Amino acid sequence: MNNLTVESLQLTLPDGSRLCQDLSFSIEPGRVLALMGPSGSGKSTILSWITGTIDPHIKASGEVWLGKTRLTDLPAEKRNLGLMLQQDYLFPHMSVGENLKFGLRGGSKKQREQTVEQSLEQAGLGGMAGRDPGTLSGGQRARVSLLRTLLSEPNALLLDEPFSRLDVNLREQIRKFTWERAKHLPTLLVTHDIADIPAHATRVDLAHSTPAQQQVQPETMHIEQAGH
Amino acid sequence: MFRLTATAIALAFFLPLVVGIAGSVVPAFGLMPSIAQGNGFEQLFNDPRFLPSIWLSLKTGITATVIALLVTIATLVCAHGTRLWRFLIACLPPLLAVPHAALAVGLIFLIAPSGWLVRLISPELTGWSRPPTAWVVPDSGGWSLILGLVIKETPFLLLTAAAQLSTLKVDAALRIGRTLGYAPARCWSRLILPRLYPRIRLTLLIVLAFNLSVVDVAILLGPGNPPTFSVFLLSIVNDPGSRAVASAGALLLAAGVAAVYCVVFLLEKTISAIAHARRESGQRGKAMQSLRTFGQSLIAGIQIISIASLILLLLWSFTRRWRFPNTLPTEWTLNHWTSRSVEFASPLFTTLSIALMTLVLALVAAIAWLECERRGTVPQIDWLWYVPLLIPQVTLLFGWQAVALLTGADGKWLTVVYSHWVYALPYVVLLLAVAWRELDPNWNNAAAVLGAGYWRTLFRVRIPLLIKPVSQAAAVALAVSVAQYLPTLLLGAGRHQTLAIELVTSFSGVDRRIIATLATMQSLLPLLAFCAALWLPRLVHKQRT
Repeated sequence: MNNLTVESLQLTLPDGSRLCQDLSFSIEPGRVLALMGPSGSGKSTILSWITGTIDPHIKASGEVWLGKTRLTDLPAEKRNLGLMLQQDYLFPHMSVGENLKFGLRGGSKKQREQTVEQSLEQAGLGGMAGRDPGTLSGGQRARVSLLRTLLSEPNALLLDEPFSRLDVNLREQIRKFTWERAKHLPTLLVTHDIADIPAHATRVDLAHSTPAQQQVQPETMHIEQAGH
Repeated sequence: MFRLTATAIALAFFLPLVVGIAGSVVPAFGLMPSIAQGNGFEQLFNDPRFLPSIWLSLKTGITATVIALLVTIATLVCAHGTRLWRFLIACLPPLLAVPHAALAVGLIFLIAPSGWLVRLISPELTGWSRPPTAWVVPDSGGWSLILGLVIKETPFLLLTAAAQLSTLKVDAALRIGRTLGYAPARCWSRLILPRLYPRIRLTLLIVLAFNLSVVDVAILLGPGNPPTFSVFLLSIVNDPGSRAVASAGALLLAAGVAAVYCVVFLLEKTISAIAHARRESGQRGKAMQSLRTFGQSLIAGIQIISIASLILLLLWSFTRRWRFPNTLPTEWTLNHWTSRSVEFASPLFTTLSIALMTLVLALVAAIAWLECERRGTVPQIDWLWYVPLLIPQVTLLFGWQAVALLTGADGKWLTVVYSHWVYALPYVVLLLAVAWRELDPNWNNAAAVLGAGYWRTLFRVRIPLLIKPVSQAAAVALAVSVAQYLPTLLLGAGRHQTLAIELVTSFSGVDRRIIATLATMQSLLPLLAFCAALWLPRLVHKQRT
């Protein structure tokens, strides 16, 4: 696994206002970087830019690397970055198993079915492959969504407030489930809830950080952003 | 009161459907000797025009529908989210408002041997100083008709699909699909289209029914020998000796359309099974920029043809002299609009009077129905409103004409209005339904606690709040009525010469400039109605001082 690195990211809205200026960071596999900030501070837009799905009206400059591979100009489908959003977006016209198979890459039909069954078993969802996603509980849906992302074998994981729509009681359970499964990946978490951030994560507050604060450099991470 | 109103609307709307079918069935079997003799089916099968005309209808109707569907899908896949998409969404509604017949006339001015496309490149590139004779419009293969149907029906399908996209969370699905490694086209085929198709199925079937049975566009753009099946039936329906044949043909056409629906359902099942199997393979596909460009150019081409056709109508209506191969008229005139104003006043007045009455009756019925629905008097039955649009117009109208002849209702102004109302009401109800159902009921409560009764709340609160969809629905009702050719022709008994009737009946024998003026006039009415629909809500909600 390789580091996910962002260099000198600058985002400008169509009205000319800056969302972020010269943001740089690098996340090692197994580490989590948490981007914090209030609504409208540009957290989700940064994720969109990294995944290559940014609104074309927003001007962006900067570089994104995965190890030595430059992702900046690659289309979203070639970047191999796993993305989880606030909503689980399980496709309603597919069963739970089909949703997971949709994430899987390669393999024979039998292998794919086995992989799906095993993943569901490990996630405590055994026997649910044939279920309609609409019949699952919020926690079950969140787990299936994460499994689908992980089965696509991403090289990094990007999480955009993935726990915010969950019931308070479920959140801790799903957080644990997520961090266990993401432990080998560089992970970028966007949130406004401090409780979402695991102990080993590094935080960047987009609204209040100053360059000096962003020089905090844990052993595995490097973050820089010029002042707003 | 609400139950009575709902029953009256349902009866007024659905009874003509039953009567229409019955009015075709009875004469077809020779059971109405006062207007039709003999077994129509037997005579129809022995008619040498039967097979060629039905083949032509199937060929043109199915081909045009398939092309319109494919272009719609290609546009969604290749243009969604682009600048072209935003342009299309903005300019499709006015194009949709233009009556079929007027657009068909403009298309002829564009693609005929003496049309503008040839003029544009002649004589420099072609050497032609006279119109070429290598092709004619309408052509014997029906390709001009297919093109005319495609440029009119694609925007209809596309707008229906576009309206559904927001409910499917397309952007998020595409984002998830692409981050899972799927090429954009693959995301559409696996994630969006399987969910979108069921939502546009009914519209597709309406387009199919229309394309298989259209009359006015087929008269203008279709071949004459043999004509399409509907045109053939229309040519014999008023001959007393052939009434049974026409009715039998109308029933056969309805059966044929139903059979094509069955084929569509079978195809759906097959494609769905194949797509399901392929979806599970996990193959990501490749992004192909050239295909994307091709897809975008298809819809751009259709738009350019539509807009050019309309511009040509306008140009011809102000032309005094426009010799081949000049690209533009050499002499201009206002004469066609001024000196013939008396001549045009009558069809214009007839068209407007019928359209305005249709509009009022359709709005009243739709609002009354939706109010009944809101109060729980009637269930939500959206699909039922589609029924008259799913049955070939020829089938229903031959039946209505037979009944009108028997009861002495033919030729009456109200009979014509009634027939227009049946075709306008579905659009008005379906357009209003979403907004009506979504309006926060607390507005009613707020009015009620202030002492407003039912009618005051309806007219002072609900309708003003919904003035935008109400205005749009009114414009659509007017556009539908202005475009009606067959109902006015068959039920009007020649006593109500609307612009649609004038345009189609005088096309082959009248000066091109006069035809262009008539077509422009017919196009302007719905366009003006749509402008008014944009302006009215602003007037209602203008800042009060």
